[in-house]
Amino acid sequence: MVKLTFIEPSGAEVAIEAQEGWSAMQVATSKGVEGIDAECGGSCACATCHCYVEGDVAARLPAPLDGELAMLDNVAAERRPNSRLSCQIKVTPEIEGLILRVAEVQS
Amino acid sequence: MFVFDPYSPAIDADPFPAYRRLRDEFPCFWSPEAGMWVLSRHADIVTALNDWQTYSSAKGNLMTELPNRAGATLGTTDPPRHDRLRGLIQHAFMKRNLETLAEPIRAIAAELAAELAGRDRFDYIGDFSSKFTVRVLFAVLGLPMGDEATVREKAVLMVQSDPVTRTKGPEHIAAYEWMQAYAARIIALRRAEPCGDLISLLSSAEIDGDRLEEREVLLTITTLIMAGVESLAGFLVMFALNLADHAEARRAVVADPALLADAIEESLRYNTSAQRFRRCLTRDVTLHGETMKAGDFVCLAYGAGNRDERQFPNPDVYDIGRKPRGHLGFGGSVHACLGTAIARMAVRIGMEELHRVVPDYARVETDLPWMPSSTFRSPTRLDLVRA
Repeated sequence: MVKLTFIEPSGAEVAIEAQEGWSAMQVATSKGVEGIDAECGGSCACATCHCYVEGDVAARLPAPLDGELAMLDNVAAERRPNSRLSCQIKVTPEIEGLILRVAEVQS
Repeated sequence: MFVFDPYSPAIDADPFPAYRRLRDEFPCFWSPEAGMWVLSRHADIVTALNDWQTYSSAKGNLMTELPNRAGATLGTTDPPRHDRLRGLIQHAFMKRNLETLAEPIRAIAAELAAELAGRDRFDYIGDFSSKFTVRVLFAVLGLPMGDEATVREKAVLMVQSDPVTRTKGPEHIAAYEWMQAYAARIIALRRAEPCGDLISLLSSAEIDGDRLEEREVLLTITTLIMAGVESLAGFLVMFALNLADHAEARRAVVADPALLADAIEESLRYNTSAQRFRRCLTRDVTLHGETMKAGDFVCLAYGAGNRDERQFPNPDVYDIGRKPRGHLGFGGSVHACLGTAIARMAVRIGMEELHRVVPDYARVETDLPWMPSSTFRSPTRLDLVRA
C-alpha cells in the first residue's frame, strides 16, 4: 500500500493507503474523497478529476502523456503547471507521500 | 454444486443472488458454461480494468463475441493503438461538445411523450424508449432518416446470444451482417460528400500517417451504432423500471428533476444494462487461490461489482441519495464507455419530458420478459400503468 494525501476543496485532508496499480482517481472515489467527479470513468476523456500535485514527490511523477496534456485544456478550474488528471496518475511505491489538492470546481 | 451460467434465462432475469455467492464463496470462479473465469468483487474488477497488459481486450470484449470484430474496434484493441483510435473519436463525445444536441433531444422526447397523453397504460419500450434512443442516435451521428425501425431491430438482435447453444445464433449473425452493410453505405455516403461530422472524420482518418484499416472504420462505426441504439435503450429501460418500482425515488425526481442525475448514477450502480464484459489473459494470474492461465478468458461482472458490500454499503438497497462514485455501470479505466456524457444527457432529458406527461406510474407485470444476452441485461417489454 502507498500513502497518498488528498486535500478536498473544503480544505479537509484525507490520508489514504492506496492500492498499487490503481489510479489516484480510483483510490479517491472508492474512499469517498469529495470533489472528484471522474465523469468518464477514468478514460482520460472528461477533465473532471483535476488535481494539483504538491510536495517533493510531485517532481518524481512520470510526466503526463499527450492525451492528458490535451485534456487538461478542458479543466474548469485554473490550469496550473502542477495540474494533473488524477485518473492518469498510477499508484506506485515511488509516489509514496504525494499530496493531491483537488481542484475547487470540476465542471 | 454452484453453477454460474451467463446464458441461462434465470441469470437474464435475476443475476444478483448468484453474484452474491460468487463474491462471497467463489471470487475467482471457473464457469464451464461460459468457458471462462468470472471476477465479481469490485476491487478485483477495478484491478483487472487497470491492468490491460495482463487483461487484454484484443481477443474481444463481448462475452459472446461477434465474428471478425476483435482487434478492429475501440473496445477490442489495447493501448497504444486503442488510445490513438479513441483520440480520433472522443472529442465528439465530450460533454461540452454535446450541448448543441440538448434541444433537439428534448424535442424528440417531448414529441414522443405527448403521444402518451391520455393513455392509462403503455409499453414504455415500444411506445417511448426505443423510438427515443434510435432518433437520438440518428441525430448524434447525422444518419439519414428512414431506416430507424430496422436499425433498432438489428442492433437489439446483434447483442443477443442463444441460451441453448451458448453462442450467437444465425439470426444474430445475420443482424450483425446487416448492420455492417448499413454502416458501409453510410461510410460511402460520407466519403462521397464529407460533412465534417464524426463518420466523415473516421472514414478518412489516419494514425501515424496511415489510413485506418477498412475493417477498423467499418466495425468501429458498426459498434457505435450498436452501442448507441442498444446500450442506451437498455439503460433507459432499467432506469424507468427502477423508478416504477421505487415510488419514493420516483416522486422525488418528479418533484425536483435536478435529482435525476443522482438517480441515474444509482441505477447505473444498481442494475446497469452492461452486466458483463470479458478480457483475455496474456500471462498466468493467481487470485484467491486459483491460477488462471495465459490465454484464458475472464468475465468482469460489472453488475456483481456494483452490488459488492465491500465497496457499497447496503448494496441491494436502491438509494438515489447514495452518490455511488466508482461504480462500474460504464465499465472503467481505459475502456470506460465512450458515450457516458451523451447517455447521461439523453436519459435525463428523456425522463424529464416523460415525467411532464406521465408523472406517476407503476409496472404491470411482476415477471418481465428478459432479453437473452450473456453481456447485456434489460427486459424486452415494460408495460407501465399510470398510478
